[in-house]
Amino acid sequence: MTSEWNAHVKDIAKALGNRVPEQEIARELENYVNVYRVSVDTAKRSIVKKHGGEAASLGRIAGREVKDLKPGEGSVDLLARVVYVDRRTVKVPEGQKEILTGILGDNTGTVPFTAWEAAGLELAKGDVLRATNAYTKEYKGKLEVHFGGRTTITREPPEALPFERAARNGPGTVSTVAQLRDGMGTVSLTARVLQVEAKSVTVEGAAKTVHQGLLADATGRVQFSAWKDYGLKAGDALRLEGAYVKGFRGLPQVSFDDRAKVEVLAESDLPGLEQLSQAPRAWIEDLAERGGAVDVTLRGIVVDIREGSGLIHRCPECKRVLTKDACRLHGAVKGQSDLRVKAVLDDGSGALTAVFDRELTEALLERTLEQCLTQAREAMSVEVIRDAIADVLVAQPIEARGNVTSDEYGLMMIVQEAKILRVDVQEEARAMLGALEEET
Amino acid sequence: MREVAWRLFAGEYNDARKTIAAKGEREPSFVLTPLGAQVNRLFLSGVLTDVENLGTDQEPMYRGRVSDPTGVFHVYAGQYQPVAAAALGKIAPPAFVAVIGKARTYTTDQGTTYANVRPERLRVVEAGVRDYWVLEACRFLRKRLDLAKAAYALESPTADAIAKLGASRAGAEGLAAAIREYGKVDLSRYAAMLTEGLRYVLPEHRGERAEEVPAGGPDSQTEGKVLELVASLDEGGKGAPWDALVAAAGKAGLEPSALEAAVDVLLDRGAIYEPVLGRIRRI
Repeated sequence: MTSEWNAHVKDIAKALGNRVPEQEIARELENYVNVYRVSVDTAKRSIVKKHGGEAASLGRIAGREVKDLKPGEGSVDLLARVVYVDRRTVKVPEGQKEILTGILGDNTGTVPFTAWEAAGLELAKGDVLRATNAYTKEYKGKLEVHFGGRTTITREPPEALPFERAARNGPGTVSTVAQLRDGMGTVSLTARVLQVEAKSVTVEGAAKTVHQGLLADATGRVQFSAWKDYGLKAGDALRLEGAYVKGFRGLPQVSFDDRAKVEVLAESDLPGLEQLSQAPRAWIEDLAERGGAVDVTLRGIVVDIREGSGLIHRCPECKRVLTKDACRLHGAVKGQSDLRVKAVLDDGSGALTAVFDRELTEALLERTLEQCLTQAREAMSVEVIRDAIADVLVAQPIEARGNVTSDEYGLMMIVQEAKILRVDVQEEARAMLGALEEET
Repeated sequence: MREVAWRLFAGEYNDARKTIAAKGEREPSFVLTPLGAQVNRLFLSGVLTDVENLGTDQEPMYRGRVSDPTGVFHVYAGQYQPVAAAALGKIAPPAFVAVIGKARTYTTDQGTTYANVRPERLRVVEAGVRDYWVLEACRFLRKRLDLAKAAYALESPTADAIAKLGASRAGAEGLAAAIREYGKVDLSRYAAMLTEGLRYVLPEHRGERAEEVPAGGPDSQTEGKVLELVASLDEGGKGAPWDALVAAAGKAGLEPSALEAAVDVLLDRGAIYEPVLGRIRRI
């Protein structure tokens, strides 16, 4: 018997005013949990009710709190809420495997998790779960919780983990926009609103209005979500204390609500709206370190054209790219033709995958999708289009503007604007030579 | 993560004598230059001056020589570089080319190491693309030079100490490794490459005599000596064997790097050629 088990037995005995012998309670609890496989909490409530007690008088033997978890723990019990969950297929030595990944949270913090035995495990955002025998690891300096073969996961009613919202967050870490990182928690930030719009969203079944947009300071820009109407408008200089940073595909995002202190400044040292609206030139090396960025401009050369570039066919239902005329979700379908480029863009400091949509590809190739289709039909191969793209783009200096996100395969830019870069090499060489001569 | 394509001049790349072996099965290996560039992949552009098939018609192995303002890249493409080999086999030199490729080294039986390039992509480009490459190569060279200058002034140039000078982690580690492997090299040689590169793209400096590249760079005296050696070692019109040339040059007080630089210059000038791989002959 583990000490935790004993604690549950004692808890039930106490709720029943010690009228029932502990031995009997232990036997019943074991029966419920091991034979009928109900969760410990349900079992405890059932036993208390069965003996005429008040389930509400049960104490909660909560698991560990998220904020106290350390990397490398072999057996962790947690009571937590699913903040975010996604089902994914990953490659393992034995082939493919379905896993669940996401974020768990309790009232002390959040932590990424991975469930390695996902077959038959259904988890949705907002679910409260109890996990026993989970383990923790550190990956890239961050704590993660893993559910493996030895881990038992049981669903609990939402009341098992009531929200305990702090009235007000502390000011958090003082940060510039470029210093924001996924997993930082709360931050203080001074930045200007570049754009903002109200959006209706459904959060846990309730309709809400969120004000979303972009914030910028001299170091960069970041997406934000305000969960209250602060009457923000483009150009406002904003002082945030206790705003929360979370990541979306490696890209940090800032959100704030009543728990944060939000102030529109009359005066600030921030650059003006017009200056901040220019997409800053970024280096891929820095983006890799930051995990991504919103609306940046890169200058690099295309060093490779990846598979899946050129003429492709998409599922009419879900727009997924077809392989061998079949959609991963909808099976054999009549595909819609499309054109795209997945290029490796390299700026000498790093490399990323840049995705150009049909419109951009047509402009760079100087031919339309229709012309490409005709050309491919005549050549009886779609490869000719990929070759044509390589002919135009490889080794070509390009300026591309867009959002950069990251995942386990590296950085990716969804290109919004692109052009072949024309640099006045002589002017820049003259300037550099002049600077060198001044130094010596 | 995909390895970045370094922009660096042949002059610096060909000075590389050390490699950093892969740490694991799927990890990259690097060619380490004296300025601390850790090159797994590189992007280069220049004039393709000649292409030679060292293999057979059925199994070609092309060697291309691509010259930039500071030296010559040796680019080899065979069956493992089918796309680039096909391209290399078709281009008629001279032509402006751009190459994206993997950094490799080759060590002779005598223990001399030469850096070369296995191209992944190779194509003909406009002069503008080459000029932009020169500018970029200058920018990155300047960054490495400035960092090396600052690091050489440190009492103990460890990666941590160099990182504190404002370098990226990878940059600091590369330079620290370079200082361990090569010691503190003569930076004026690389400063000369930098100005040479910048002047190369400026019409007002065109036609100027190349600045003497000090310390190990070729000069007319060295070139003369090498020409003499090539002639004296010629074996019945087949040319002088490379290894014999290295040995003779060594006795004459020429470092292999100086010999190689002089040979590159003479090849470019058309004073010598390679009748077969590993032999040099006067024209």
